Amino acid sequence: MNVVVTRVFPFLLVVLGVYLWIGYSVTQLIGGGKRTSAAVDISPEGGEAIYWGKGRCFTCHSVGGQGSAVRGPNHGQFGEKFPLPMGARAVERAKERAEKEGTKFTAVDYIVESLASPGAYVVKGYKNEMAVVYAPPISLSLKEIKAVTAYMMSLGGDLDMEAIDTAPSEVTQKFYSKIKAAAAAGGGDPGEGAVVFEDNCLDCHTLNGEGGEVGPDLSGISAKGLKFISESILRPAKSLTKGFETYVVIDKEGRQTIGLKTRDEAGEIDITKANGDVVTILKENIKQIKTDETKSVMPDDLAEAMTVKDYQDILSFLMLQKPKPKAEQ
Amino acid sequence: MMADRHGKGAISTRRYLAWCAIVSGAVAMFVLTAPAFAQEENVYRQFVGLDSRRLVWFLAQMHLFFGAFVLGVPLFAVIIEVIGWKKKDPKFDKLAYEFTSLLSVAYATTAALGGLLAFALFTLYPTFMGYMAGIFKDVMFMYALLFFGETFALYLYYYGWKLLSSDKPFAPNLQRLFKALGLIVGAFGVAFAFGLIGGEMRVDTRWFILLLYIAPTAVGLLIIKDLKSSHIFIGILLNVFGTAIMQLANSWAGFMMSPVGVDGEGNFVGTVWEAFENILATPIAVHRMLGNMAFGGLVAGSYAAVKFLSAKTMEEKAHYDWMGYISNLVAIAALIPLPFAGYYLGREVYSTSAIMGNNMMGGDFSWTFIIQAMLVGSLFVISNYYLWSGMTRIPGAERYYKFIKYILLALILSFAIWLTPHNLPLSGQEVGEMGGSQFHPMLKYLGLMPAKNAVVNLIILATFFSFLLYRRGNMLEVVSIRDQGRGARITILVVGLAAIALVLQYAVTMLTMDPGSLDLPADRAQYIRMIGYLLVFEAAVGVVAIVLALMDRGKLGQVLYLAVTAFNVAVFLGVWGFVVMEKASPVLRNVAVAQFIQLISCLILVSVIDVFLFKRAKSLGEFQWGRMSNRSQYALLLLTFIITMNMGLMGFIRSGLRGDWHIFGVMRDTSEWAYTPSNFVMTQQVGAAVLLFMIGCAFMFWLGGVASKKEE
Repeated sequence: MNVVVTRVFPFLLVVLGVYLWIGYSVTQLIGGGKRTSAAVDISPEGGEAIYWGKGRCFTCHSVGGQGSAVRGPNHGQFGEKFPLPMGARAVERAKERAEKEGTKFTAVDYIVESLASPGAYVVKGYKNEMAVVYAPPISLSLKEIKAVTAYMMSLGGDLDMEAIDTAPSEVTQKFYSKIKAAAAAGGGDPGEGAVVFEDNCLDCHTLNGEGGEVGPDLSGISAKGLKFISESILRPAKSLTKGFETYVVIDKEGRQTIGLKTRDEAGEIDITKANGDVVTILKENIKQIKTDETKSVMPDDLAEAMTVKDYQDILSFLMLQKPKPKAEQ
Repeated sequence: MMADRHGKGAISTRRYLAWCAIVSGAVAMFVLTAPAFAQEENVYRQFVGLDSRRLVWFLAQMHLFFGAFVLGVPLFAVIIEVIGWKKKDPKFDKLAYEFTSLLSVAYATTAALGGLLAFALFTLYPTFMGYMAGIFKDVMFMYALLFFGETFALYLYYYGWKLLSSDKPFAPNLQRLFKALGLIVGAFGVAFAFGLIGGEMRVDTRWFILLLYIAPTAVGLLIIKDLKSSHIFIGILLNVFGTAIMQLANSWAGFMMSPVGVDGEGNFVGTVWEAFENILATPIAVHRMLGNMAFGGLVAGSYAAVKFLSAKTMEEKAHYDWMGYISNLVAIAALIPLPFAGYYLGREVYSTSAIMGNNMMGGDFSWTFIIQAMLVGSLFVISNYYLWSGMTRIPGAERYYKFIKYILLALILSFAIWLTPHNLPLSGQEVGEMGGSQFHPMLKYLGLMPAKNAVVNLIILATFFSFLLYRRGNMLEVVSIRDQGRGARITILVVGLAAIALVLQYAVTMLTMDPGSLDLPADRAQYIRMIGYLLVFEAAVGVVAIVLALMDRGKLGQVLYLAVTAFNVAVFLGVWGFVVMEKASPVLRNVAVAQFIQLISCLILVSVIDVFLFKRAKSLGEFQWGRMSNRSQYALLLLTFIITMNMGLMGFIRSGLRGDWHIFGVMRDTSEWAYTPSNFVMTQQVGAAVLLFMIGCAFMFWLGGVASKKEE
């Protein structure tokens, strides 16, 4: 025990002292705790708080010498690569964007587009890998996104709060609508949702003329509202669409086939099962045929199999499937 | 039931009842708490005005330190007991018993701290815990039941050691019964492996359960033939219960990071099983298990070091020197695969959320990872130093001293590269001096993953090489493998070919992989195929190494395979990693897997050749146990301190990755403590926990010493 008291514990204290010194030095170098804070005002100060907090922008970007992340472009004036701070740079980028697209683009439009649709005009030399800031886990509200836009514009640009908040341009308004729709659907990412939809739903459902016909056509599904879509995914049997009822067919040998009736002709019917297999049954062999309102051909365990993110992404994607105007149809 | 023949039953029973009450109380809280949902406003409370987050953090850290020790030690205690049983060497049996004796107090402390942690969580974070209990209530019941199982197994294992030491065979019918049970469990395992049972299970969960629960239980039943082997089976059960408890608790931590089955409003609509086997549950469990083993080994090693330093006789020194050596060996064995388990966990974190992944390596925790790299690098360097110090007790080992400087150079260079960050916060002047770039023109490459992957492999190979030198320290003339009989040749061939098959199966994967599966265009196939060709080359060299070993040129075979593997993993794939990063970055993870597979294949093949190369070799003298410098014992202690600090640091990162979410993306932390603390706060918090844990260890070791003196 003597050894422990006289030699081992002093040794431990020295080691712990070095550990604390390293922690202290690193903190001196890079700064203290990172507090997440939500913006209360649509202002550059509110945006700055979001940038260095809840928005987690600092994870990939720096502002001049502030911060050390380099995954995304530096938003301040920094070296030869970034001679202009973000507000002034946005004016230049917007001009390039306008020339390329042939439409009017303001600096605010450019910044809002970068936040709402980051893959649209990626800075050369950087990957299209920015997170969707209005989706979980970041989940910025429209108000917070406006605040970040104000902060970006305040970095060497002309801060026009009307263009950001009360009187946005048509382009900006379009992105604001997108963010609102996505936020209403739990803040999912519609782009990711399109991928999830293609992988999991398109084999059975039609969307804008593409896909399978086992399930209802989902073009314009947003008209049915978020609650209906949500329920259809989580509890498909509770919201069966007319014409897509589940049939239970029992033949004379007692075999039971459950699925969607996809063909009904004089002598036979086709039942498409949940796994996509099509079973043709002669009508003369049918002992009993009935619809079952408690069952859906659609798998009822999707919510269990999907991650929260998948679910939110797909909801936001479906909420963007607006009915087309009659003329267009 | 809890009484033992040393008259310690009363104390044990009291301790047992005490923790049972704690666990039962905690379970009652789980069950009585009404399920709450994520959308409800969170309620937070404080205890005597303390910062609740830091209080829970501290208690969780203490619980995990003691828990890791309690789960880690039985893993190798049983293996050592089996070695003693097979070799019929009571020295190993005594050592295994001594390791187990350290557990008794630690176990009760773990349970007490676990109860305290549960009370703190339920009282200070009622909404969050209500939500978790609503989802995991079944798992929590299971957790409590397994605790009973582990308690019975532990006390039976420890207190029944001498009672169950007879090697008098059981009646043949009883032996047959155990064998039949073993075969049934084994058959169940085979069906389970092929998905005939539990077909919907995730692959990683399935293999975790198969390898850590079903297979050991089957083997344990098959070996039962007397009381001693029954005792080993109890030890196996102790590990099965302990690992299962850890896996259940990890599923909660995993769910908090990668929740599944939750709808848009935060309501849980999935099944308990889906919540249990969430994406991160198994990667965390694998990483933690290896970490526990290394940690348990080193804490036991620190016990041996303290005993060595205070030993009064040479005999005592010899015993504790040997114990320290075994402890360090156990730790190294667990440390070697640990970086890969970390890579697997990190990859899954990225898969779960790129935001969480970015935050880990490039955000709030990038500098914490640099501290972690310093600690892990120190672990390897100091472990090597301990091995080199150990060579002084081996007659004839001085022949190999000349290699040490080269190994040290390789370790230091690798360590330096591992530590190099991709970029640093710089002043405007410094940026100007670097041509306006935030990156150093050369050092920037060393901060990227290909460089780090290469040097991690090199560090492991260097450590393995140190071990090989240590092993052959006192060995002189080798006995021809051809003269060792068919068994030796068959073993080298079978094990060697298995190692090569491991390489080849991945070569086939690389040669047939569709680039489209990685979202790459068809013309990027060349970057994948090159890895396949390299693996075929590695396998061919492996075959040559086997042939050389069978022709009694085993040393040449070892050198060849080691050199080629080092070149492939550290040089070729190190450079190829940069090419891939530029042209086909998704392939980078395949590069890492290829490096890992070649390394493992090399460790297996070179080890099996080594075993037979020096079997019955002429010895230059016995190991002079006890003839170790005191400095080496401080190295052992330092290893323990470092791994403990590192565990605390990694816990901070894993938990902190969720940012201001209790449950990532589902339930936000709206308390006043919802922020990521600085690295200084982390070192303060972890440092305090380490200090208290070490004081606890000193107390446990002192108690263990008192008990063993009484026994003597």
